[in-house]
Formats: sequence, structure tokens, C-alpha cells
Amino acid sequence: MGAVVVAESLTKHFGSLVAVDDLSFQLEPGTITGFLGPNGAGKTTTLRMMLGLATPTSGRALVFEQPYAQLDSPALRVGAVLEATDFHPGRSGRDHLRTLSRAVGVPDSRVDEVLALVELQDAARRRVKGYSLGMRQRLGLAAALLGEPELLVLDEPANGLDPEGVRWLREFLRTFASQGRTVLISSHVLAEVAQTVDQVLIISRGQLVVESSLEQLTARVSGSVRVRAADVATLRQALADAELSCTPANDSALLVHGATSERVGEIAFAAGVPLHELVTEGTSLEEIFLELTAQAPS
Amino acid sequence: MIAQIKAELLKIRSTRTTLGLLLGMVALILLFALLTGLLSSVSGLSTREDQRQLFSLGSLSGIFAALAGVLLVTSEYRYGTIRPTILFSPDRTRVLAAKLIAGALAGLLFGVVGEALGWAIDYLVLSGRNITFVLSGGDVALLTLAGLAGVAAWAAIGVGLGAIIRNQVGAVITLLAWGFIVDNLLFGLVPSVGRFTPTRAQDGLVGLTMKHLLAPGPSAVVLFVWVAGLAIVGFALSARRDIN
Repeated sequence: MGAVVVAESLTKHFGSLVAVDDLSFQLEPGTITGFLGPNGAGKTTTLRMMLGLATPTSGRALVFEQPYAQLDSPALRVGAVLEATDFHPGRSGRDHLRTLSRAVGVPDSRVDEVLALVELQDAARRRVKGYSLGMRQRLGLAAALLGEPELLVLDEPANGLDPEGVRWLREFLRTFASQGRTVLISSHVLAEVAQTVDQVLIISRGQLVVESSLEQLTARVSGSVRVRAADVATLRQALADAELSCTPANDSALLVHGATSERVGEIAFAAGVPLHELVTEGTSLEEIFLELTAQAPS
Repeated sequence: MIAQIKAELLKIRSTRTTLGLLLGMVALILLFALLTGLLSSVSGLSTREDQRQLFSLGSLSGIFAALAGVLLVTSEYRYGTIRPTILFSPDRTRVLAAKLIAGALAGLLFGVVGEALGWAIDYLVLSGRNITFVLSGGDVALLTLAGLAGVAAWAAIGVGLGAIIRNQVGAVITLLAWGFIVDNLLFGLVPSVGRFTPTRAQDGLVGLTMKHLLAPGPSAVVLFVWVAGLAIVGFALSARRDIN
């Protein structure tokens, strides 16, 4: 099976502003990809082009090997939530879903199913006006799930969610992807999706700056690992053998540079040195993210 | 296409907006029908043309149907539901066509309610004031049936206008200014042009014989050209414009 999404040199100009600049990437089936970048980096514009709401200035985006708008019943293959608040306040949540399900021939029984799935069945017949932001987020997700899609695209889904809601969403997405389905989730906060995603696409000023697995990105963390052990000398030798540089932090601790805590832990284990402390210091994933997105050419 | 029309009809039914517009229309028709029927002199209500004018009041429903049409499109942009709508149905031409048809059907409902109310009140007023009803069967048929077609056309005009001016406030103001001010001014100042406006075309359509008005046949053509013209521009724009 080919890539679920292929973006080829996707470019969008708004007047003289280049919102998305020659962006290419692919999404493989069964993956959860975090689409990251600061606000205004071009994430939403990219998603709009991918989903047929906006026309690229040049380049193209294919979903299941076709432009979204040319798919037969795209809502049965792709579910998307672009804004958390896309509801008529005077319409009930259930009727909102029915206006969509009718257009694609999905029965009302499926409407009730997705309402139960997002735990909104009790509020379903109330007007959206009275919904909390978290309820609206879930109603949006319910709409995206109506057609039992193979690809789910969520734009900033964690915005305005309380910690419980974020956890609920994380669990939900993991289950969804474990069924071999694909998720693309955008965010301007790496930490928000770091526990959920397998890989990341980071864009800044419309350009792709990083496309890698989360592991690779973590490995790029250039900070140091602080390690404390009773037998510092042996550990130091083992690290030197592994060609890692380190500096003493104090009598019983070392700062290892350019390595992950996993690597240092494994080296210590192999050398038979019991560790008393093992922590990553310095540049965090979030700092890497900020660094990457700030360094992009203007 | 049928599925999309059903979806659009549900959109119309599932908020209170339509009901509000219907109630507004009922109130306005009550007011106008009673005022005209009670305040006009007996001599001012006796000729066929007087009575045609009296009974064409039901066509006030046109402006309310047009408002419902405008809202069917612009509320999607106002509340952002256009995004899920287009995600589910990316063929924007089909979506707009469904809105035109659903809007026209809603317009028919406005027409039926408006006509029924207008006729009931004015007939009662005439008989209460002992004024002989002088309209022929042909007059009545034209006033009601062409009146209904006119209201449906107005709803479609509203949908087309909404597809062109997606901003709700802008579209509503444009519609009201157009229907109440521009058309009247134009007809008053330059009747040879003003008779081609949709408001005057509807007057002609239901058989009014005021000076300068077109006959029902040509009026129907003019009204259709308005509907088609706005729809065509709406189709072209909605296919091309990005949805934010």
C-alpha cells in the first residue's frame, strides 16, 4: 500500500506573502504524525490545501493517491477537524452531525454511535450554544469519525482542552492508529503531541525544517546527560571507550555530552557500574523545537 | 444530489432562524394587509388593479424568503460550518445547487404561508366593508401561482447573493437595500430600467398593470435571468475561492 498522503512541492502565496513554500512530505499508513510549527508557520494552510479547501499556488497534495476533492465520498476515507468551533450555535449537536451524515448517506444510527464514542450522547439534543469547549472539540471529532475514516487530520486538537481531555484524546488516537489507521495532528506545542506521535514534520515560515521519527529527533537533543555513580572512574573509562566526551560535574557525577540517557544507561550497564542518578539536562525537546523553528531562513 | 438537498433542508429546519423569519413575515403581512385593507377608501379598493395590488401583498414574503436564502449560505461562513460541509461534499457546485433548490423549496413554504395569510385577511376585510370582489379566476390564479413562483425565485436570488457576498451582514444589508431602496428608486426615476429589477419583475409577474411594468411573461423571464445570473456568478466564485 502506498503513502496515505503525498505532498509534492506544495506552495501557497497570499499576495506577496509565501505561506507555504515548496513543502513535500509523505504519510505512511498506520502512523501518527505530529505536524509542528509555531503559529503562522503555514500548518493550517497546508492542511486546507491537502483537504481541498484551498487551491495551491503550485504543487499538489494527494490523499489516497488522488486530490482530496476528486475522491469518491472523501468523508468515508478521511476525517478532519480544522476548527473546534465550526457549529451553528442554535443547532443541536446531533442535528449538526445529521446535516453532514445525510450528505454522504451515513445512517442516523452511526450518528448516535459516534456521539456515544465521544461521550456526548447526553448532550446530543441540546443546542451547541451550551457546550463547553471540550464538548465542542469532541463534537468536531465525532463529525470527523462519521464515515469511519482511514485517515484522521486534526488541526490543533488540544487547544482549550483540560488535562483530562488531552489524556482522553491521546488514548483515543493511539487506539485509532493501532487499528492500522493514519493520523496527522498539528500543534504549535511539541510537548502536547510528543507522547502521542511516532514521527514529526516540523515547519517554519512555510518550509519543512525537520522530517524524522520522534526517536531521531530525541537523539538530536544536543544537551548533556547527568549521571551519578559510586564508581565514577570506571564509568568514565567506559564512556571514553564508547567515544563519548564527558566532564566531571562534582565528585560523584559526570556530564556526558551529545548522548541520550538511554545510551549512557546502556553503557553503564555493560560496564557493570550501578547508577544512582541518570537525567537529561540542558536542551530539551522543546528547546530543540524552538531552535529549529527559529533558525529557518526567512 | 438528492442527499445533499436533504442535508440542506435539514440545515434549514434544524435552527430557529427559519421559524423566526416566518414569524417576522407573518407579522409584517398582518400589519400591511390590515393597514391597506382598513385605511384605504372604498373607492381605492374597488377596481381590479386596486384589488390586485391589495392581494399581491402576500408577495412581501419574497423578501423574507430571500433572507432565508442569504442565511442558508452566509451562516455557513459565519459559523464555520462551511468547512465540514465542503469536507463532506467537496463538489462546491453540487453544494450550491442543492442550496438553490432547498432554498427555493423553503421559499415556496414562505410563499404558501404568506399568500394564505394575505388572502384570508384581505378577503375578510373586503367582505366586512361590503366591497365587491371583482377579480377574475385568471387574476386569482396569476396572483397566487405566479406569486408563489416569485417567492421561490426570491429565495434562490438570496442563495445566489449569499454565495457572492459571503459576509452575512454585508449580504443582508445588500439584499434589504436592493429590495427596498434601489429597486424603488430606479423604478421611480428611470422606470424603463427599473421595471427590469427583480422587485418590479415580480409585480409584473403577478399581473399588476401599473404603468411601465412588464407583462407577466416577460417578467417571468426577467426574474429567471436574475436567478440564473446570480447563481452563475455564485457558482464561478464558489468554485474558485478558498475557504479559510
